Amino acid sequence: MSRYETYTGAAGLLSRREFLQASGGLIIAFRLFDPAKGAAATVAATQSVSPPPAGRLYAWLAVHPDNTATLFTGKVETGTGVLTALAQIAAEELDFPVDRLAVVMGTTSQTVDQGPSYGSMTVRYAGPQVRNAAAAGRQVMLDLGARHFKLPASGLEAKDGTIAVTGAPGRNITYGQLVDGKRLDFEIGASGEQFAMKVAPQARPKDPSTYKVVGKSVPRKDIPGKVTGQFTYVQDVRVDGMLHGRVVRPYGVGAKLLSVDETGLKDIPGFVQIVRRANFLGVVAQTEWAAIQAAQKLGSTLSSPGPDGGQAKWSRWEGLPLMDQIWDTVRSSAGRDTPVASHGSVDTALRSLAGGRTLKATYKTPFQMHGSIGPSCAIAEVKGDRATFWSGTQMPHETRRDMAKMLGIPLANIELRWIEASGGYGRNGLDHVVADAAVMSQAVGRPVRVQWMRWDEHGWEPKGPPIVQDLTGALDKHGRVVAWRHHMWVPTISDTHLIAAALIGKPDISGETGTGADPALTYAYTFDNADVVVHGKGRVALLTAWLRSPAQFETTFAMESFIDELAAAAGQDPLAFRLAYLKDPRAIAVLKAAAQEYGWVSRPARGKKPSPNGKPVQGRGIAWVNRDDSRVATIADVTVDPGSGRIKVGRVVVAHDCGLVVNPDGLRNQVEGNIIQSLSRTLHEEVAFDRSQVSSRDWQGYPILRFSEIPDRIDVVLVNNRPEYPPNGAGEPSTNPTAAVISSAVFDAIGVRLRQTPFRPDRVKAALG
Amino acid sequence: MPQNLTLNVNGTGHAIAVEPNSMLLYALRNNLGLHGPKFGCGLAECGACTVLMDGKAIRSCVMPVSAVGRSEITTLEGLGTLDKPHPLQRAFIEEQAAQCGYCINGMIMTAKALLDHTPHPSREEIKRTLEGNLCRCGTHMRIVRAIERAAEQGG
Repeated sequence: MSRYETYTGAAGLLSRREFLQASGGLIIAFRLFDPAKGAAATVAATQSVSPPPAGRLYAWLAVHPDNTATLFTGKVETGTGVLTALAQIAAEELDFPVDRLAVVMGTTSQTVDQGPSYGSMTVRYAGPQVRNAAAAGRQVMLDLGARHFKLPASGLEAKDGTIAVTGAPGRNITYGQLVDGKRLDFEIGASGEQFAMKVAPQARPKDPSTYKVVGKSVPRKDIPGKVTGQFTYVQDVRVDGMLHGRVVRPYGVGAKLLSVDETGLKDIPGFVQIVRRANFLGVVAQTEWAAIQAAQKLGSTLSSPGPDGGQAKWSRWEGLPLMDQIWDTVRSSAGRDTPVASHGSVDTALRSLAGGRTLKATYKTPFQMHGSIGPSCAIAEVKGDRATFWSGTQMPHETRRDMAKMLGIPLANIELRWIEASGGYGRNGLDHVVADAAVMSQAVGRPVRVQWMRWDEHGWEPKGPPIVQDLTGALDKHGRVVAWRHHMWVPTISDTHLIAAALIGKPDISGETGTGADPALTYAYTFDNADVVVHGKGRVALLTAWLRSPAQFETTFAMESFIDELAAAAGQDPLAFRLAYLKDPRAIAVLKAAAQEYGWVSRPARGKKPSPNGKPVQGRGIAWVNRDDSRVATIADVTVDPGSGRIKVGRVVVAHDCGLVVNPDGLRNQVEGNIIQSLSRTLHEEVAFDRSQVSSRDWQGYPILRFSEIPDRIDVVLVNNRPEYPPNGAGEPSTNPTAAVISSAVFDAIGVRLRQTPFRPDRVKAALG
Repeated sequence: MPQNLTLNVNGTGHAIAVEPNSMLLYALRNNLGLHGPKFGCGLAECGACTVLMDGKAIRSCVMPVSAVGRSEITTLEGLGTLDKPHPLQRAFIEEQAAQCGYCINGMIMTAKALLDHTPHPSREEIKRTLEGNLCRCGTHMRIVRAIERAAEQGG
């Protein structure tokens, strides 16, 4: 008998009294399910605030007397729609109506740590965990039904939250009645941790070919609340007795706080106090407006008064590299090489090249930022050896552990209540602001809400790092590729010491999560001689963190643009040229599907320079990527105006293969978003900085794509959306090809190759000469 | 010092005590507990804080409370509810025109002012009107379609 089956017979549910004893007084009080609410459950009378054990069914599911249910998951929503996707997976396996299934995400006392929500990995890795837990839940419902009807479970059917006796109309009972308000205290088994966790190994999930809910465009649960102002973002949370805090960051990334002149602060109605601890400076006030006024007096403004021009004096610090030499820093600081591909001998092939051509190119990409529309925000309540946080971080369980380290408080006494924030697109400031709030709450002994000002967000959120790449390719006299060398200098993307921890003198709180910089690219071409290397782990003076499809957006730009350079040099059609060197059937499938949808006609890139003030010219580009096992091919049309240097994108076609799609409309929403955001990164985005600090402090200093620049249309083709292909991620993959597609389309149009993002009009004009 | 004044919001007069030079956004969010208008930049650059003031779309993050006077303020909450969404809100739901949704307040309120003035705008007019509203998730295509749908349905 399996461990699971042990608990599905007579060993039934605990009584309410036993439940209260067993749970150590932890009562989970559910409000009626309201689709507008981010969290449908609140914790009252807490003793233990540790996460529930992953091997118990109640860690994943609750069924309530009104026959609603709740899925608990350590994964969180960042705007990509995973809440609804995970609800669909759970509803499918539980045989429960998806519109009566609420989802509680991230709150550390109520959810299992399934790892951070990043890397397009939520549906791929947490999906099977939720799937198995819900399948085990369905079996429990059948067993409870068997006890109720005194019939074998084999004579019962589970459907829409009801157990019915097969062939006996009217003999049925709801899950809610069966569970009768009790906790689902059943052992389902779990082993491993986070992404690698196996849940309910004995569960028997459904055959994907029978799915009724997974694969449907179920409307997203959060959207009605979001468009009516009823949704609660972390920025909206208010706590009893709460004060408002603002940070005053150093002028200069490494500057020391010398002195603070508090003149005039007490004249601000509602001002409470400053919080000064080593180089950390913040203000706390009764009202948000008072906190903003006080911070402004101390130098927190859009145009900063300089290191000694305001009431807070900072040491003069000018340790950043020159902006236009940042790629030298990237090269010189690289610490570790990771070979991606090594076939034959590139050097031998280059030496023995007779009658062919060798091409060399260097591609550069700048610091870019996440740029959330809502600045980072959190509330902390630190009292003695207990702490509670309200946060929208993408890694709630890790942030809880970081806070235990920073505050020196036992982990068991810390709870992070997760509430959705403005979209993040990677590790932005959302966990850093938790640390800011913690420092301020600890100092004043009351809950403190901290929201960063726009310049705090732009200036201090961790950035996606600059990358430089050298490529060499050789064609023989027949136009065949005989050598390929791609060397990438990719700084670390997880250099994220918590800012407040470093400022108070605890620089070692950097978190345990590091997705390394490698592999920063998936190489799939079949060139006889290839040498592909990532020179990783460099340090580039500003905090870095993963930004949507970290490093692979940049490496795909170089790899796929340079393939195009070779195709053009060989006088060949860029699609046929790629297909000649690919064996991956899914890569070939997405390229062909995109070409078919687009109506691709085989021809080499035109690549002719127009006259300087000639008419706008059209061009087309193509590129593809393998990101975390999802394949995407993109084709776009552009119009380039030689006079202004402006690039306008017309039609975009995306062929997307992430295997079985849980929610097709949700996926299209993601793909459209990836295309527009990556277009913005391609055309506009570059973080500017001087020797002291980031100088892109608002949307004027860091422009992003606006409505007038969006494509005319984005056509999405789903490839391999079939039950036999397990679901992979879609949060990032379609970001990757865009820069290469636009670079190649511009070459097709005007004959110049753009090798440095962003492709601003001045750069286009400079390239035209 | 804080002054007592009355704000006319969503058809009701609200007596509040705030600094007269403080911005309308904070009064709406902190004194009235409204979640529709959002803090995005405090610089009138992104549009997340947009509300209607006597029918015009304005940036509440740079509008001093003292300048509001007796004007009628309408927020996202004043358009419709979960049970009875405004045609624009319904169109945004039908088009699934949100990802994180933080900017959507500004999109809907700006579109409301547009449709009140121009019931059947062209696609170019819609895009031009939203030029000063930023969306970072890249939901632009759906936002435009939702506004077109609302216009078709007489929003």
